[in-house]
Amino acid sequence: MFGKSEKAAELAADITDFKAVRGRSLFRDAMGRFLRNKAAMASVVVLGLIVAFVIIGPHFAAWDNEEIDWTRMGDILGQGAPSLETGHFFGLDELGRDLYSRTIQATQTSLLVGLIGAAMALLVGTAWGVIAGFYGGRLDSVMMRIVDILLAIPLTLILILILVVAGRNFVTLFIALGAVSWLTMARIVRGQTLALKTREFIEAARAGGVSEGAIIFRHILPNLIGVVIVYASLLVPEMILAESFISFLGLGISEPMTSLGRLIAEGAGTMGYGTLWQLLFPLFFYVTIIITMFFIGDGLRDALDPKDR
Amino acid sequence: MLTYVIRRLLVAIPTILLLVVASFLMMHVAPGGPFTSERPLPPEVLANINAQYGLDQPLWKQLWDYFYNIVAHFDFGPSFVQKDRSVNDIIAQGFPISLTYGSLAFLAASIVGVGLGIAAAIRHNTWIDYFAVSLGIAAQALPNFIMGPILILTFTLWLGLLPGGGWNGGQWQYLIMPVIALSTSYMGSIARITRSSMLEVLNSNFIRTARAKGLSHKAIVWRHALKPTLLPVISYLGPVFVYVLTGSVFVDLYFSTGGLGQSYVSSALTRDYAVLLGVTILYGALTVIVNLLTDLAYAWFDPKIRY
Repeated sequence: MFGKSEKAAELAADITDFKAVRGRSLFRDAMGRFLRNKAAMASVVVLGLIVAFVIIGPHFAAWDNEEIDWTRMGDILGQGAPSLETGHFFGLDELGRDLYSRTIQATQTSLLVGLIGAAMALLVGTAWGVIAGFYGGRLDSVMMRIVDILLAIPLTLILILILVVAGRNFVTLFIALGAVSWLTMARIVRGQTLALKTREFIEAARAGGVSEGAIIFRHILPNLIGVVIVYASLLVPEMILAESFISFLGLGISEPMTSLGRLIAEGAGTMGYGTLWQLLFPLFFYVTIIITMFFIGDGLRDALDPKDR
Repeated sequence: MLTYVIRRLLVAIPTILLLVVASFLMMHVAPGGPFTSERPLPPEVLANINAQYGLDQPLWKQLWDYFYNIVAHFDFGPSFVQKDRSVNDIIAQGFPISLTYGSLAFLAASIVGVGLGIAAAIRHNTWIDYFAVSLGIAAQALPNFIMGPILILTFTLWLGLLPGGGWNGGQWQYLIMPVIALSTSYMGSIARITRSSMLEVLNSNFIRTARAKGLSHKAIVWRHALKPTLLPVISYLGPVFVYVLTGSVFVDLYFSTGGLGQSYVSSALTRDYAVLLGVTILYGALTVIVNLLTDLAYAWFDPKIRY
């Protein structure tokens, strides 16, 4: 549009220059707000303890998660209760496997599911939303129509469909979660991009001759980080919930791998026999993870988006 | 308004079409089928079976036949595993059950949730407010599949008051736990949304004007604050319907109600694609329709929105 001049090149360099004076950045403000939020900080500590337990815990396990304790499997109610002597800290499950190891493995699965599901949503959803919002026009309407259509279908059913068709292992599980989780993220990011696109600083960058790629990466994406982090953090418990739901139905990850939903289902199936620990240990981990995740998400939202309270 | 309805229909119809085509194709690229067993069938037998179910036709023909039968006759074809039953039979048997307690749960969640939210906002910072807030938080960690076991543990195993499962023609004892298990979580979310929306409305300028004018508290809440309060709640009802729908799969399975969810899960485990496909399409289409209705209700309710 304009001829290339030195002046314009200099201006463009100035606009993309990040070595300006460090002011009170949005993120330091947000960090301060987050640190002052007691519920969120307590949740971070509790969740940190669980993560540490999941990492260190296996070293203290006396039994493997696939191993069957043949001597005690005949009398689970009598001898399978949680005890330090037998090495089954959380007791035995219905088949005589060590619940301590199985709970750790299940918690690992659930945490991974949450993280990877949210990460996939973050990558795909942000890319999709930014491209649709930034380029606009027909591309935008086609991309958003696709999102609308997919959003109109119950995602859990799609998840089950993918898992049945493609096999129930970790890889398909993560791909399936990613496939269903990015839609709302794409919508939110697109809306934000549309609003950002018309702001003065973007106009200034354009006038200064900054390329479109640089505008997206240097000016739009950094301004999206707040919203994206907040939404991704709220997505983590949602992913864990969805996976646990499917596992509960027996359609999730297949044995010997397990997840908290599956353990809760097994515990719920046997609680009539008095082996309540089979339900309570997984349930405790599950509820704690979900509640702390929600508090952290809420805290992040309050910290990063103070208008929306 | 009419153009808006037409435009929404123009999105809804292709959505359902796409749902049918995509899930049909997905089922057919899947490795293995209902007739793959550990003891392989003689090829002639397999060919006969495939011909019986139309699986020897080219894919586009199968898709067209399937599609045509659904649209023209509302016929989802025969079940692959339950030899003497069609998918329609299975749906006709299970769906009314799921629909009964599902709609009860939907009603309970909306009515109690909205009521609780309004009470919490009006009596801000009293015990009822704290109760609503804590229910809202607890509800997030107590989805249906956690509530189910907890309810059975309390009411069946400890107190012995309610039967632990079954349907028995929809007698009330058999309905209570499914409805509570299904509705609690969404009740909490609805209460939370209603509460924060009501608080926001009560702090807005037009309510201050109404107060200044000397209107009674009652008139302000019911005549002026209620309608704008309910807007975000209405837009949440679509998602709630989806949750109740998927949640019913769990309830059917866990409480052995004999509802459609049981057939759905067992068809997923036995690779009975016909049933899986039929239920997915039925639930998907229902979702699209309910979303359409809530959008229309929203547009009708909010005079500011004119598309």
